[in-house]
Amino acid sequence: MLESIITYSFFMQVFRMFTPYYLGASAATFSERSGVVNIAIEGFMIISAFSYAAITIATQNPYLGLIGGLIIGILFSLFFSLFTIKLKINQIVIGVGFNLLMAGLAKFLMLLFFHSSSNTPGYPHIPRLPFLKSIPMIGDLTGDSIIIFALLLVFISQTVLFKTRFGLRLRSVGENPEAAETLGIKVRLYKSGGVIICGLLASLGGIWLASNQGSFSDGMVAGRGYIAIAAMIIGKWKPMNIFFACLMFAFFESLEIALQISGSGIPSQFVQMLPYLITILVLIGFVGKTKPPAADGIPY
Amino acid sequence: MNTSPIIEFKNISKKFGDFFANEEITFSILPNTVHSLIGENGAGKTTLMKILFGIYKQDSGHIYINGNPVSFKNPLDAIMNNIGMVHQHFELIDDFTALENIVLGDEESDYGFLNLNKSRKVLIDIIAKYNLGINLDEKVCNISISEKQKIELLKLLYRKSEILIFDEPTAVLSPIEVEEFFKIIRKFKEEGKTILLITHKLNEIKELSDSVTVLRKGKVVYEVGSDALDISVLSREIVGELETVIDLNIRGDVKSEEPYIELNNIVYKHEKASALNGVNLSVYGGQIYSICGVEGNGQSEIVDLIAGITRKSSGSIQMKYDGISLVPDDRLEKGMVKEFNTGENVLLRNNKSKYISSSKIYDTAKAVVDKYDVRLPALNAPLESLSGGNQQKVIFGREIELDNNIMVFVHPTRGVDINATAYIHKIILEQRNKGKAVLLVTSDLDEALKLSDKIGIIYKGLIGKEFTRNEFDESTDKRNRVLQNIGKAMIGVNSD
Repeated sequence: MLESIITYSFFMQVFRMFTPYYLGASAATFSERSGVVNIAIEGFMIISAFSYAAITIATQNPYLGLIGGLIIGILFSLFFSLFTIKLKINQIVIGVGFNLLMAGLAKFLMLLFFHSSSNTPGYPHIPRLPFLKSIPMIGDLTGDSIIIFALLLVFISQTVLFKTRFGLRLRSVGENPEAAETLGIKVRLYKSGGVIICGLLASLGGIWLASNQGSFSDGMVAGRGYIAIAAMIIGKWKPMNIFFACLMFAFFESLEIALQISGSGIPSQFVQMLPYLITILVLIGFVGKTKPPAADGIPY
Repeated sequence: MNTSPIIEFKNISKKFGDFFANEEITFSILPNTVHSLIGENGAGKTTLMKILFGIYKQDSGHIYINGNPVSFKNPLDAIMNNIGMVHQHFELIDDFTALENIVLGDEESDYGFLNLNKSRKVLIDIIAKYNLGINLDEKVCNISISEKQKIELLKLLYRKSEILIFDEPTAVLSPIEVEEFFKIIRKFKEEGKTILLITHKLNEIKELSDSVTVLRKGKVVYEVGSDALDISVLSREIVGELETVIDLNIRGDVKSEEPYIELNNIVYKHEKASALNGVNLSVYGGQIYSICGVEGNGQSEIVDLIAGITRKSSGSIQMKYDGISLVPDDRLEKGMVKEFNTGENVLLRNNKSKYISSSKIYDTAKAVVDKYDVRLPALNAPLESLSGGNQQKVIFGREIELDNNIMVFVHPTRGVDINATAYIHKIILEQRNKGKAVLLVTSDLDEALKLSDKIGIIYKGLIGKEFTRNEFDESTDKRNRVLQNIGKAMIGVNSD
């Protein structure tokens, strides 16, 4: 039975599933490294997925959908930093609020524009990259610009966080903002920077989901924003570790889909449970103590 | 010689709520001098320095640097004016290496990419010049307090600061480390830098200062140059009226036959490191036993074991009586619930009554407040609104009233003003004279010398040397040599 599941297309599926997880997890990492807990990854993914869908339907231009989705992501992360950094409202409360608001907002706008509470009409996806899409065997992956970006992001975020001046300062405000301030670093500016990068990356994850699905439907993000946060914690806020954590989640989600299709007789509810069960097991068993940035979640 | 001041404070006032932290402060500092700012905790020294460094903004008044009015909006403005500050609580990032901590905010970079090696080269020269040897690649969470201070010094030197502010720089250093620190300060002065030293240790002032400004209750009360410096005048100016006078030599011989606390060969391992390596310790009734040492050598582990907060790895602990009275080191975090009022905090240790009425809270608070001379804004005020000294009196009152035979006091007078300190010392001595076993943990050697019947020096998880009162009593002529040996034992050097 396993042979019928672990196939070439299964591995392609793993990397596709990996993409929104990794974008979401890196998003959360940039925010938390700056000391702001952002559990609204899910909400950012939902609203940007919907924005991509709506703009692409309206203009029939997926590039405009992409840009529009990112702008919406930045806009909401500016709100998020206003509430959490400037007004110092509890970050968890704001995060929960954003998640609930975005899910409701997307549904409301869907009814308003498309007269359906379940899904939008279809729309084109972001065009595949020339040349790269025609590479044999892996063309499906390499032709997808966002998948390529997500893979490169492992190295980009590692470099930005640990090899640049911006990264050093970003981490310093997440670890000890008082110390950073005494060295003349503008704490709120860097925290806002972390939150905006977070909004941008999470939105890209949502846009990818929308682009690949071909139509926006209610509940389509399906908790990936939360899994992404779990991946960040399992990966101990380090880009390379998070890469493996996301691969693991992608593997189990792909397995779930494959098992359902293969009709293995294992109850699908059990299989659907797997990624979450794995999260808990990994957190209690294999990762050990995880240590967030020292000033994570504390308003400054 | 240039005699126009490098820094002038003119009528600086700063209020927190209704409380004047600084009130009409006016004085000036000459270039290339060591200027000491002294006063009790809460006298306004740190507030004033934070205004100078751009962390706080004064409500009124002006600061002039080299005759020019300045108005710093943030520390960056101060740094740009060549001012550097080492804060009382080091401002370091535990998860960063020493090198990253030093360059942060003033990084060498190429197109935004860090060039740490370029900074490293600069720092290696500075380290050699000032003899500040540290491992630049070690994470700050793994290094000792004196090394952390070296990092703070390197931060200032790396930025080429000319006006250096030190807030209580020697509070956490052993006597020999203090000597090394003084050498560096003198070297800074030789190079023409101006040093502002905040302290409440009078001997430091005498050794280093060219001039002294005394603050009391937010105001300048006394200024003097090194030529007219008189320690007894100075200490009177710092305190104002002394309220409690105690005779520390009234100590009857009430020592018990058997020890009340006995630790045998205690080993304690925390994570990978061993914090205690075979501690032997006996404290008798009617005795004050002080554990002295540089912080982090195992003091807190001993206290936690005796109090039952942690469990030993091996060895035996014997206590003659059940129940101990404990005043922990960090009163805000461990000793009390700071949001609770006095009565509630005292009743936390009450196991007798199941139901607590508001009149009970009131009566309990009243009893402690009256008996222990606690001064507070209102009887039902949260404990965090009291001054450090009064908070400590509440905790002392609560613990003493339990009337246990074993009492453990950890840093009992840290952050407590001079009057409250004298009062607390009086209480501690009374308990000893009543026959209680008192274990005192302190890093303030003067406190230990005043109070103790016996002093044990802790270094790297071992109580290596013990000294009895007849060795260090003020009446003995060996005292100076014993004091030197105590200082050496604190940093693990064998005495002669």
